Amino acid sequence: MFFLSKLEHKLRLPPHKLDMPIEESITDELQSIFLDKVIPKLGLCISVYNIISIEGGFVLPNDGAPTYTVVFRMIMFRPYVGEIIEAKLIESDTKGIRLSLGFFEDIYISSYALQQPAHLEPDPEIPNEKFWVWKHEEEEDLRVEGNEIRFRVISVDYPTIPLEQDQGSKPFAPMVVTGEMNMEGLGPASWWV
Amino acid sequence: MKILKANAGALTNFEVYDFLHKKGASVDPAQRVMTKLRESELKVFDHLVHTAACNQTRESIIEFTEKSKEFNLAKSEVVNIINIRPTDPVEAAPCIEDYLERMDDELLEELQTMINTVLPPRPERQMSEEDEMDAS
Repeated sequence: MFFLSKLEHKLRLPPHKLDMPIEESITDELQSIFLDKVIPKLGLCISVYNIISIEGGFVLPNDGAPTYTVVFRMIMFRPYVGEIIEAKLIESDTKGIRLSLGFFEDIYISSYALQQPAHLEPDPEIPNEKFWVWKHEEEEDLRVEGNEIRFRVISVDYPTIPLEQDQGSKPFAPMVVTGEMNMEGLGPASWWV
Repeated sequence: MKILKANAGALTNFEVYDFLHKKGASVDPAQRVMTKLRESELKVFDHLVHTAACNQTRESIIEFTEKSKEFNLAKSEVVNIINIRPTDPVEAAPCIEDYLERMDDELLEELQTMINTVLPPRPERQMSEEDEMDAS
């Protein structure tokens, strides 16, 4: 799930941070720039792991703050193809299900990648809620729900930023993970234990 | 920003959990108010606290990587197993690519026994075992 990536960045350190020890203030500045942002092909930035080198510190003309060239390692969230991840169900609709990891919510499993045969059923208790249900041989129907849903990663995509978005459509997701759970052992953990 | 090395090493969930824990993350709400960690880091920590990572130790992971060499597992599969910590051969099977060709049921059972002895059990399972003992 997590990888380390080595990055180099030229950053401008705001003067109000100059009273802290330099490593701390640079880490702080890097965190505000990178954290929670997606770098295409590298994944979602989680945290700065360590700083390898700091160079520079020159003050450029017309600027009131020093500029440093920093080489550092960052923890990235980047699931690889074939990885098994456990996530929580957020919503189910006609296209499939959407799962979340708390810090990352764009995991989609389309309906044909669920354990077959599966069909969408409205929830008897809560109106307007639907659940996917797996009909497994002679046993009773098993619902796709819960907090420990295991799936296998098929692909990780980084769509480009759209120039225009219609109002009311889903907010743009810079990183999308697509998964499948039609293998033995995948799906809610309660199905197999 | 320049990317010097896109992949400088894989991290298991335990290593990320340990890193955030050392930085000051915790489940206790009183502690959380005082940490310097950002919201997103705390969310990652919250997710990892519910997985097998919170029980593991560095020594058990090193031991497991050593012993898994006998089974000819790829590095990604070893990381998968450490992160998921299966309790049953049925749970371990998806972690291994093409397991039907490379392993038979016996080998899978052996792998599962090795996992059970080396890696600490997951937190929820510990609770359910306690419930079973109380019930009996």
